[in-house]
Amino acid sequence: MSESSTMQEGESHDLSDDADYAASQQQGSTSISQNGSGGRTVMNEADRAQVVYQKDNVTIHPTQYASERISGRLRLIKQGSSLFMTWIPYKATPSGNDLTRQNSNVRSAERDRNLYTIRPVPFTDVRSIRRHTPTLGWQYIIVVLSSGLAFPPLYFYNGGVREFLATLKEHAFLVRSADDANAFLVNDFQDPLQKSLSSLELPRAVSVANSPSTLVPASPSPFAESSGRTDRDSCDGSPSASLYSERSRQKVHDPAHDLSIQVLEKFSLLTKYARETTSQLLREIHGDNYGAFERKNEFQSLPSSVHDGRSNDIVKVPDEAPVASDPLETSALVKQKIPCKKQNHGEEAATKVGTFELVNCKEFDKLALVWGKPRQPPLGPEEWTTFLDSEGRVMDSKALKKRIFYGGIEHELRNEIWKFLLGYHKYDSTYAEREYLASIKKSEYETIKHQWQSISPAQAKRFTKFRERKGLIEKDVVRTDRSISFYDGDDNTNVALLHDILLTYSFYNFDLGYCQGMSDLLSPILYVMKDESESFWCFVALMERLGPNFNRDQNGMHSQLFALSKLVELLDSPLHNYFKQKDCLNYFFCFRWVLIQFKREFEYEKIMLLWEVLWTHYLSEHLHLYVCVAILKRYRKKIMGDQMDFDTVLKFINELSGHIDLDATLKDAEALCMCAGENGEACIPPGTPPSLPIEDTGSLYPQQDDD
Amino acid sequence: MATIGNNNLNAKLVLLGDMGAGKSSLVLRFVKGQFLEFQESTIGAAFFSQTLAVNDATVKFEIWDTAGQERYHSLAPMYYRGAAAAIIVYDITSMESFTRAKKWVQELQKQGNPNMVMALAGNKADLEDKRKVTAEEARTYAEENGLFFMETSAKTAINVNDIFYEIAKRLPRAQPAQNPAGMVLVDRPAERSRSAACCS
Ligand SMILES: Nc1nc2c(ncn2[C@@H]2O[C@H](COP(=O)(O)OP(=O)(O)OP(=O)(O)O)[C@@H](O)[C@H]2O)c(=O)[nH]1
Ligand SMILES: [Mg+2]
Repeated sequence: MSESSTMQEGESHDLSDDADYAASQQQGSTSISQNGSGGRTVMNEADRAQVVYQKDNVTIHPTQYASERISGRLRLIKQGSSLFMTWIPYKATPSGNDLTRQNSNVRSAERDRNLYTIRPVPFTDVRSIRRHTPTLGWQYIIVVLSSGLAFPPLYFYNGGVREFLATLKEHAFLVRSADDANAFLVNDFQDPLQKSLSSLELPRAVSVANSPSTLVPASPSPFAESSGRTDRDSCDGSPSASLYSERSRQKVHDPAHDLSIQVLEKFSLLTKYARETTSQLLREIHGDNYGAFERKNEFQSLPSSVHDGRSNDIVKVPDEAPVASDPLETSALVKQKIPCKKQNHGEEAATKVGTFELVNCKEFDKLALVWGKPRQPPLGPEEWTTFLDSEGRVMDSKALKKRIFYGGIEHELRNEIWKFLLGYHKYDSTYAEREYLASIKKSEYETIKHQWQSISPAQAKRFTKFRERKGLIEKDVVRTDRSISFYDGDDNTNVALLHDILLTYSFYNFDLGYCQGMSDLLSPILYVMKDESESFWCFVALMERLGPNFNRDQNGMHSQLFALSKLVELLDSPLHNYFKQKDCLNYFFCFRWVLIQFKREFEYEKIMLLWEVLWTHYLSEHLHLYVCVAILKRYRKKIMGDQMDFDTVLKFINELSGHIDLDATLKDAEALCMCAGENGEACIPPGTPPSLPIEDTGSLYPQQDDD
Repeated sequence: MATIGNNNLNAKLVLLGDMGAGKSSLVLRFVKGQFLEFQESTIGAAFFSQTLAVNDATVKFEIWDTAGQERYHSLAPMYYRGAAAAIIVYDITSMESFTRAKKWVQELQKQGNPNMVMALAGNKADLEDKRKVTAEEARTYAEENGLFFMETSAKTAINVNDIFYEIAKRLPRAQPAQNPAGMVLVDRPAERSRSAACCS
């Protein structure tokens, strides 16, 4: 636990010999002068801000690459009765005091740091903190805001999560969640009204934004100074993308204003690249037929930058870029879409966004058209055999994934190939090994199943949790996909299988249990596999990735919805600004999409196609988030044109079910993913489902506390 | 919450209750006049609207249908906050669902809008032979807690429109200016113009 100290000039002198720090001091001073005389003197008044906790080397992992980790300083600042949290990244390069653009790496690192900087967040805005303290690996915390958004995990490289929470406990009301010993609810006031206000409610965000005065003292105030002060520590004095920056300031300092600048800047970098590439492309398309070959090389820079250094499970983009290989086809596409583009143009204007963005979006759409590769016919049996060696090993899994990504699989092959995609079978296993595995796994399944089958009525009477679970599952299986002939009719045996598999799973993963939505995930798997044990193990493999969607603390969902909001911000800033204005930034209207991978949004056949495409993890493990962006972009005109508020957006999105064009959406999603590149991946906190959990330590769904 | 324009009222209504109690079925019956034997579970939440004429006025219900499973409980405040009315649904064939309904009532009493009109619906009234919760028990509970009570059946449509109609009648006509529950809808236009002004 750190000592209390006032925020004074000399407070950080221990760091003043640090080049980064010196640089940040220098830059910081510009931001102070912007604040005017904001009050170094005010600071000494009674209500001054105090740093009650400070921890260095607290780090976020924007991507899986160690080189892109951003370290910074976490602080708790107390002012009056209010407590604030900040996390300010260190300046990265010793040469950082040189403000001239050095190279794009440094610039993008700068942007990242800016993007992730946590400007003072009042704890009244924090809903909960979840700690992860594995015995191996780094401890981290996830801070979930009452808006439903969460910050990326903050890793404590030197340990100290416990001290952090202890300090926090001294200054804020903190209770351990009854459901989850590692989750701490903040401001869980005994006063029920207060409690309801601080709980996870969307409209709360409205009132927070509306009444800054209740949260932070009105400016000018010591708080203004304290944020000015923290600004100085930040890597850059420029306006931050953080939603939480300095609400107390007057209009000129309105965070929304700052945010839009930030977004514009980001977008301009993106589109500058896009514009160059696009014009190059268009020249080629309309020029000669050799353009296609040129283009291959042209594009290499992008895909490889997207994928360099990725872990093995992600496919490196092969030499030929995922662009329509037939230039005629591509140019046809472009022509065909041009009227459409004009429409988009008009739509931008209608939303009164600046002309700057108008231009960007136009460029962007052009880009998307060129990149979205036409879908291919599904992989058939003959072609499938060409992927296998004589003993049944998949020789080139990357090529296979790529093939499936662009075309899906013919239905009768799904049964075989899904097992690879889901990770139940290894690509380099032989026919014989797989057959053997199936038999082993079958008896293993029977053993687990027997655990609940052997519960007698008398025992069940004394086993509430079992009865409850069984009850939930019984209620759900009878209303899962009953319109599909496979599951229709009275006493359908497949419905009984769904029940048995789900109940067995809830014993296999007792900590997670059964949760609504799981039957939706299992249904197509059983439909494809037909076999009970194989379905079970495929479902287990899927849940390895999607299990966190169902966590009690909604952690997996939060991180995905957070990433989604960041991606929309990156890829469609007008839409982002619109959602922001409408207090829709928690993206709960996409909850169903994400929770069950669009299961309710498409007809059965299409869902199987979409899932196998997502499961390839080709281009991104998080293609589903780009699919969300793609769908939102398709309907952005309607959403913004009709001035939909949260309720209406939710209703609209629920009613889109069955009306979304999957092929077109997938093409868009691919293009968006390519276009976002590294910046897109940086929006997605590590460990965000369906990524495998960051550390594998014992219990994945911790329910009990061990200390 | 209920907002008034002449004789037209907009009222936010939320359905709460155990999973499978029949919340979605009640809404579907009320809004579309349909019943599905295998109504899918609700993931997240769904939103519907339906207008009723009551005497000389119309009430437009903005209906939030929530997911019943305990696991998703933490999302519920997002939906009941600012609601003018709530229907707490249980299944008459399940004592647990009645227990859960009582918990919802408690939560709303503590944290909901104090002027909220609350109705208790004992659904699946068509399943008389499987009944576990007597109408007597539920009525007593409702009276003690200031709710009004009806047994409904989304399947046969019994009492479905009636329960919404009763709610409509009970909605307070004149809104006190400081009514906190009215803020969400009333506030939005103002907040919109304000943020529009500073963003552009
Ligand atoms: N017999 C009968 N069955 C009903 C009635 N209402 C609903 N059901 C059935 O009960 C099941 C659950 O109904 P839902 O409306 O989905 O229940 P819910 O409360 O919305 O459930 P969740 O969305 O999971 O919270 C469905 O199979 C319905 O067909 C009713 O009045 N009578
Ligand atoms: Mg429902």
